[in-house]
Amino acid sequence: MAGNYRSVFDIIGPIMIGPSSSHTAGAVAIGKAGRTIFNGQPKRVVVHYYESFAQTHQGHGTDYAIAAGIMNFPADDDRVPIARQLAKEAGIDIRFVEEAGPSPIGHPNTAVLNLSDGQQQVEVAACSVGGGVIEVRQIKLYDLTIKPTGPLPIILYPVKTTDERREIKGLQLTEFLRMHAPFKQNVVVENQAWRIFEFDLINYLHAGTKKHLLGNYPGIICI
Amino acid sequence: MYLTMYERIEELVQDAEKSGKAISELVIEHEVQTSGMSREDVWNKMKHNLETMRAAVERGEKGVKSMTGLTGGQAVKIKAYREQGHTLSGDIMMQAVQNAVATNEVNAAMGVICATPTAGSSGTLPGVLFMLEKRLKMNEEQMVRFLFTAGGFGMIIANNAGIAGASGGCQAEVGSASGMGAAAAVEAAGGSPRQSATAMAFAISNLLGLVCDPIAGLVEVPCVNRNAVGSANALVAADMALAGCTSIIPPDEVISAMDKVGRNLPRELRETGLGGLAGTPTGQAIRMKIFGKEMD
Repeated sequence: MAGNYRSVFDIIGPIMIGPSSSHTAGAVAIGKAGRTIFNGQPKRVVVHYYESFAQTHQGHGTDYAIAAGIMNFPADDDRVPIARQLAKEAGIDIRFVEEAGPSPIGHPNTAVLNLSDGQQQVEVAACSVGGGVIEVRQIKLYDLTIKPTGPLPIILYPVKTTDERREIKGLQLTEFLRMHAPFKQNVVVENQAWRIFEFDLINYLHAGTKKHLLGNYPGIICI
Repeated sequence: MYLTMYERIEELVQDAEKSGKAISELVIEHEVQTSGMSREDVWNKMKHNLETMRAAVERGEKGVKSMTGLTGGQAVKIKAYREQGHTLSGDIMMQAVQNAVATNEVNAAMGVICATPTAGSSGTLPGVLFMLEKRLKMNEEQMVRFLFTAGGFGMIIANNAGIAGASGGCQAEVGSASGMGAAAAVEAAGGSPRQSATAMAFAISNLLGLVCDPIAGLVEVPCVNRNAVGSANALVAADMALAGCTSIIPPDEVISAMDKVGRNLPRELRETGLGGLAGTPTGQAIRMKIFGKEMD
């Protein structure tokens, strides 16, 4: 059992602009995940579509939906259908590529986003599993590759290797999550410059818990 | 210890039988505990979904048209037809069909809908619910509860079999929605939790193998009409369960059968716009006209 659906509102909801929850609302969620992991507004985004996404993105409004997510619009926002234009006006160059091969993450509704701003480059491989719910199966951040199980929420906590308190910070976060937001997987990846702690949570984050995390762990990413 | 979701229908039914609580109540309690939201907030969020669904039904029955012109205006025709009083399957049934079609026409026209569980299948549940509102004189509380029950069953279906047409075909979308609607209709009519589970099993069994073959890849044809069938099938399944009919195959096994059938469907029949009705000469010609290219 994948267990992607943690809330009754994943099933009765989201409220959205039609026509497809996996190709439209799910695509908004993928764009939003990209923006969240990038930790700000990118200047350039290349979206690679695979399988069903490559075949049907035009008819389903997937392009503007991903643009809407990158712009941080909710799925039922009136601006969703004109998000490509609005993104352009905001200085974000978004391109779409239909890939012929199979999804690199093994799902028919796959989009791989390359986000950059000249300094930072981030890659997010996500799939839309139905009803507006998504999985993020691969992330490339600070030249490190992270492979979460997929279902959200996912927490990423990057700490510089030069930070003397990196061990303590990781332990503190792990202990805090154990108490307040239990996880089923916890992975640490590291290169010369960065160490990233990754957690796959069991339930959706409570609003108060998220606020605490964002306030106490600078640079933390909650998808 | 933290609370996690129900993994099996049997677990949910047994919990309801043991506690004497309605399934809707168990789903509400579960949501309050896992989300950290207050009961009032959880309730109001569902009430807002209900209001959105009602607005879509009302908008659709006034008449909408999609950008391609492939869908729209059927709900208006069905309404006028009902008013003549000669429907074959009965006014109640055609009222459900009208609500289902109205909602999906709004979805195809890029209007605001509530995905239940998906946008492509967003007509099935309102089809059943807004008919039952009149038939059973349901008040707002009962209607909100209907959605929690439907959602509770839907979570188990979604976690064990999936709800995306691209992965599991239309059976995973309209089939799941129909199963959710059947289960919730039973609770609304005063049936037992076990009868709800039976109704879900009937509804999904009847739509097993349904392919996802949208013309030009658009959520229009045959999606709108399939929602009409999803609602009608839910009502038949609910009535049979309330009559005391039982499912030979247990509900959880029906769900895993749907999962396996979905995995065995070829990709042409999983929302690629290639096979089924989409692959017919007319389907391909429409695709050419809209997008100027054929499918490989």
